[in-house]
Amino acid sequence: MTDWVPVTAVRELQRRKKSLVQVGDESIALFMVGERVFALRDVCIHEQRSLSKGAILRGRVVCPGHQWQFDLETGWVEEQERCQPTYDVKVKDGTVYVVPVPRIRVTDAGSAVLGSQ
Amino acid sequence: MTRSVAIIGGGQVAAVAARTLRRRGFDGAITVIGDEPHLPYQRPPLSKGFLQGREQSGDLILIDEPWCSDNAVDLRIGVAVTGLDAFSRRVGLADGSSVRADSVLFATGGRPRVLPGITSERVVYLRTIDHAIRVRDTLQPGSRLITVGGGFIGAEIAASAHIAGADVTMIEMLDVPLKRALGHELGEVCAQIHRDHGVTVLTGEFVESVRDVTDGVVVRTAAGREVEGDLVVVGVGIEPNAEIAATANVSVDNGIVVDEFCRTSVDGIFAAGDVANHDHPVFGARVRVEHFDNANRQAAAAAMSIMGRRAAYDNVHWFWSDQYEFNLQYAGHAPVWTQAVIRGSVTARSFTVFYLQDGVVKGAFAIDRGEEIVWAKELIAARATPDPAKLADEDLDLEGLVPLT
Repeated sequence: MTDWVPVTAVRELQRRKKSLVQVGDESIALFMVGERVFALRDVCIHEQRSLSKGAILRGRVVCPGHQWQFDLETGWVEEQERCQPTYDVKVKDGTVYVVPVPRIRVTDAGSAVLGSQ
Repeated sequence: MTRSVAIIGGGQVAAVAARTLRRRGFDGAITVIGDEPHLPYQRPPLSKGFLQGREQSGDLILIDEPWCSDNAVDLRIGVAVTGLDAFSRRVGLADGSSVRADSVLFATGGRPRVLPGITSERVVYLRTIDHAIRVRDTLQPGSRLITVGGGFIGAEIAASAHIAGADVTMIEMLDVPLKRALGHELGEVCAQIHRDHGVTVLTGEFVESVRDVTDGVVVRTAAGREVEGDLVVVGVGIEPNAEIAATANVSVDNGIVVDEFCRTSVDGIFAAGDVANHDHPVFGARVRVEHFDNANRQAAAAAMSIMGRRAAYDNVHWFWSDQYEFNLQYAGHAPVWTQAVIRGSVTARSFTVFYLQDGVVKGAFAIDRGEEIVWAKELIAARATPDPAKLADEDLDLEGLVPLT
């Protein structure tokens, strides 16, 4: 069981809407939309670009490399039928916490799985 | 109601249309007819990773036999279509068989424009995987490659060949590559990227002849310059494969003419991708787009239209090009413009240029600024008229310039 790790202050993320944090070997892209925080692996599964340099548009983060659009919640790319790993994330007392274990949440359209990668 | 679909063509549009039809619940017959002897594959890597040896044939496959079997898609590859009876919608095949369908989708793409009068065996056009294999197998450290055409495809071939260790010479007809698409200054920026990597870029040069010599070829230009090489790769555009449609009396003008629902002039006949000259609501003009993203999205739109679930295809066109360490992206459609607004640094090769026509953002080109292209697409789709000073101001978020809808 891996524990929650504090990674940044909510206020910091509120200011920039996106942030890149490093926890051990994991490069984690954080995004904030409204009050919600999302955490995805930073390195795009497609061609190794950095999702934290992407744009947030209609509930998805758009990779700056080739415009793949990842669902912020699940990491799923509808048009490619592939999934970016995500992390469990929560906010408590003004601090963002993640569990630095990447998870693939969707394996094909319509079926979600909850195992670790 | 459509109970059967025949797709003429076996590339990106065919694969995406078949997949979309099944995923959206179409349970009628689907036949895909492709003349290449290969499973449907994606073409973008042919001038990039595949040419550099980073990707293999299998990596490019879009739909394979198990998928077709599971999804009841009748995939006929290696057989050309010889004709179409537009009234009965019966498609004739080169093997003598025929396929009748309620709906026919033209996904025929294009074929390389050829250099007139050039017949050397060492001149290759890059469109198919067989072409790419031929080029890839010639590339090695020290081999001499000549690319004719300095557009995006020619530029990618040059970059890939350079990465593979070849000595590369690019021959471009205009005085600056990409001048029509990007303008003189930024076309020059793109040319300089190649020069900085050691590629010889010759501009304002027409290829007059290619002559075979003992171990290669000599390309002679109209100005009398001679360049010796092992292989010549030509990338000077494509011609839409619209002949079958034309003989079936489907309206053809620079490709197959379709409306915003991918419908041709004949009921039950559709077209999408490189071959489709489509009516575009955002630009208020006909556009024929020869790029991957359009093939994908228009194929999906055509599939929905075939099923009677029509939505106007108003996607803002977009494409990318990976050259050396740079990621180039273009969005929109700006054949002419009245103002070009640069955001970022041209000398640092990190910028976005917005092309405005009478104040309206029509197109944008970026080097290593993919995030800004996302917002550029939003600005173009909204037909936005932002203050040019704000567009150029890097202290302002582009998102804030997108009109609220």
